Amino acid sequence: MVCGNMEVEVPRSTWDKLYDPQPEKVAIAVKSLKNCIIGSKKQKEQIVEQGLLARLVNLLVEPDINPRVKTNVVQIFGSISKGSELTAKSLSDAGVVKILLNGLVNTEPQLTEACLLSLVSIFDSKETSIEVIYSDPAIISHLLSLMPHSTNSSVAVCRLLTKGCESLDHQNILLNSGTPKSICEVLSSPVPVAQLCALQCLAAMVYKNENAAHVYLSTSAQGKSLMGHIVFYTGREHQEEIQLEASRILTYMYRCGVFEEDGLIVFQVLPCLVRLCKKEERVVNRILAAETLAYLIEIDVELQQIAAISNHLICTTASFLRWEPDHRQKASGMSRVQMNKLTQQLEKEADQAKQLRKAAFHVFASLSANDEEIRKRLIETEPVVQSVVGALQDSDEDVVMSAIRCLHSLSRSVQLLRTTFQDHTVWEPLMKILSSPASKVESVLVASSTLCNLLLDFSPSKEKILDSGAVELLCELTRKYDPSLRLNGVWGLMNLSFNSEQRIKSQIMTTLGTDQVFRLLSDTEIQVVMKTLGLLRNLLSNEKHHIDTITSLYGKQLMQAVVFILESENSHEVKEQALCMLANIANGDTSKKLIVDNEDVLKKLKSYMLHNNTNLQTAAVVCIQNLIWREEEGSCDRQAKLKDIGVFNILNQLKTAEDSVLKEKVKMALDQASM
Amino acid sequence: MGEGGLRDISLNQSRDDSDLLELMWMDQLAKVQVPRQTLNKLVMNYLVTEGFKEAAERFQEESGVSAEIDLNLLDNRINIRDAIQAGKMDEAISLLNDLHPTLLDENRYLLFHLQQQSLIELIREQRVEEALEFAGNHLAERGEEDSKVLQELERTLALLAFEDPFSSPFSDLLSHTHRQQVASEVNEAILKAEHADSAQSKLAASLKLLIWAQEELDKKKVRYPRMTDLAAGKFQDPK
Repeated sequence: MVCGNMEVEVPRSTWDKLYDPQPEKVAIAVKSLKNCIIGSKKQKEQIVEQGLLARLVNLLVEPDINPRVKTNVVQIFGSISKGSELTAKSLSDAGVVKILLNGLVNTEPQLTEACLLSLVSIFDSKETSIEVIYSDPAIISHLLSLMPHSTNSSVAVCRLLTKGCESLDHQNILLNSGTPKSICEVLSSPVPVAQLCALQCLAAMVYKNENAAHVYLSTSAQGKSLMGHIVFYTGREHQEEIQLEASRILTYMYRCGVFEEDGLIVFQVLPCLVRLCKKEERVVNRILAAETLAYLIEIDVELQQIAAISNHLICTTASFLRWEPDHRQKASGMSRVQMNKLTQQLEKEADQAKQLRKAAFHVFASLSANDEEIRKRLIETEPVVQSVVGALQDSDEDVVMSAIRCLHSLSRSVQLLRTTFQDHTVWEPLMKILSSPASKVESVLVASSTLCNLLLDFSPSKEKILDSGAVELLCELTRKYDPSLRLNGVWGLMNLSFNSEQRIKSQIMTTLGTDQVFRLLSDTEIQVVMKTLGLLRNLLSNEKHHIDTITSLYGKQLMQAVVFILESENSHEVKEQALCMLANIANGDTSKKLIVDNEDVLKKLKSYMLHNNTNLQTAAVVCIQNLIWREEEGSCDRQAKLKDIGVFNILNQLKTAEDSVLKEKVKMALDQASM
Repeated sequence: MGEGGLRDISLNQSRDDSDLLELMWMDQLAKVQVPRQTLNKLVMNYLVTEGFKEAAERFQEESGVSAEIDLNLLDNRINIRDAIQAGKMDEAISLLNDLHPTLLDENRYLLFHLQQQSLIELIREQRVEEALEFAGNHLAERGEEDSKVLQELERTLALLAFEDPFSSPFSDLLSHTHRQQVASEVNEAILKAEHADSAQSKLAASLKLLIWAQEELDKKKVRYPRMTDLAAGKFQDPK
């Protein structure tokens, strides 16, 4: 006998009757089969092995079969999907999903509901992709129409939609299919399970979707507003899970910017999330509450400050880092199945510990993002700093990422840089991440931002970082495709070169190379250009002989760079940087020649002195001032030359300038004139 | 004596004071008002929760308090309960699978108790071979899944070792009370699956609260007339 495209031997088992020509016998056999497999994993596997799925599928598809029998078959499928990943896969392979989806349009309510519930079970398995519900727009709208039939139906549909809502596209499809009103109706249910499922669905649908958030903000059904429901469910009379989901929804909507804070966040949502982080709560809730809280306060310093003093949050979160599961008695002489179960349990707990650490680092990263006082408190809390540093070397990428973010926030503290970060070698793991080709772009980005902070001049770890190849690494970053990485590369070099020794400056120039400098100066990202100019300014700073050394090697290219920028279409800010660079060159000894002997540059200086932007004027005047500085050798000759081309005339003109800073610089310059 | 009668009294242990205490307590107790409507609702809730349909219908007529649900919905639960109490386990499981097909997949401990009862019924009828086969086919899997059940399973199988299981140390398993226990467990599970307000009657909840409150008072060594016989509402003499 062949059913579909599966060859099935006539089974010698008790299930012969499934193939009986008499419908009553078939009905009895189906019922019997159902009772047999519910509760027994072995039986489920046997059914699949004996190839009975094809026959069952047949029974569903044949139009003459009694709906009662079909309902039983559907329930059998639901039960089989709860067996193992293997049995679930077999269902998928036998095309059961499509058939059940078709079954949803059946007129028999019992059969329809059975199909719904079985679908929920089937999609629970990793083997079955839920994308299929989007294959036909009618499916979604039909699912929504089934919601009001019963509590079980609403719960099932909500679960399906929550599972199926995995992307922005999904969110938008659901938004436009009438989901808002349907969800709103389910939220009026008096049954807690239904309330929770509806809330979970809603959370999935508004996450990072401003458009959706707007729509849900103004949704109402049966005279009650959706927002009204959600705020109601943050109340403490509800289960923790319900409070958590409601708070999550409000957090997402708030972050989408769809409503103004008028007390709801500070007095309801934030305290709720803080409370749900506590030890008394279930671990899954603690994790979700912490992650949501981290997201809520991420970019708002006021919220960070409030959270930092809320209900011992810092201590509570620190305890995440020390969490251990309840001690369990080890039973002696365990069977294989029990051993498997124990292993599963242990794996689950290890995963929970990991999730807790990640969540804790996210909370700390958000808390310490903007406020120095909070950072100080955090580093004084055990075991925060050592956990963060330790986690930088964790085998799990996600944990490493969360630790880097935390470190980044903390590295914005000057005090920390000077003290704690010297005690803990944070830079080592950071450098490892930066030099590993396998690192994700996101990790490299945050790690390099952190490194930039660590390279500030007063940081004691600066030397060690240099020794381990920081210059090469940063130069490498400047060549990356991602503009943020290029920015961090050049920013790092800029910080590195500030007030630093000649050898470091030389190393930077040599490693980076003048070609790369020019490339960076022509970068599409204006920030990159600015920081490159900043780097050049730093290289041309401090001591005269630094300036002279660099200009003796790269003078020509540096002047070309200045001209390049001044002739470009860039903004005033950028050009100001170039003029400052020029002023620095003018500060050296031998380097002065570069400017004075360059007719073109002198002409430009003159025109900038007369520019309508006072900042540019001031920068040009400072340059002139440096050139004619009386105490320096060759000053007279230079002054004579500049006088010849009319620079002093312009200076005299500018004596009456309105801007006080400009006026002062002009006066200083004129004072240098010896005649 | 100062304010707050009870607390100060507990410091003095003389006999006269104890009598005085009891009188004061009972006096205050007598003053507490519990509206009739509340009591009626409690009774109705108990009847509905436990599945006493006819009694609930009569009570509805006689007291005027509404059951607030269609009492015909109780039929399913009642049929299952009746089947269990009659020892017809196959029928009970079949009915349960019709009513809530996912329940026994999700609650294997409940399934174990139902199957255990099936085994007990086979033992009761002295169908020893069938009993052993049944145990091997079904209960072994339960034992593998959950070590909790092993002890209970052992006791049940031990019945087979006796010539007359009714006089063995495990004879309690064969009693009708055991069937009742399983029936209650199933009843509770069904109520939960039906998203009922509570799987327990509110009357049971109130009594639990009473027991808890008494335990708390005992912990703090307060002397008061303790209700020891809940069913009869009798107080113990404070000695």
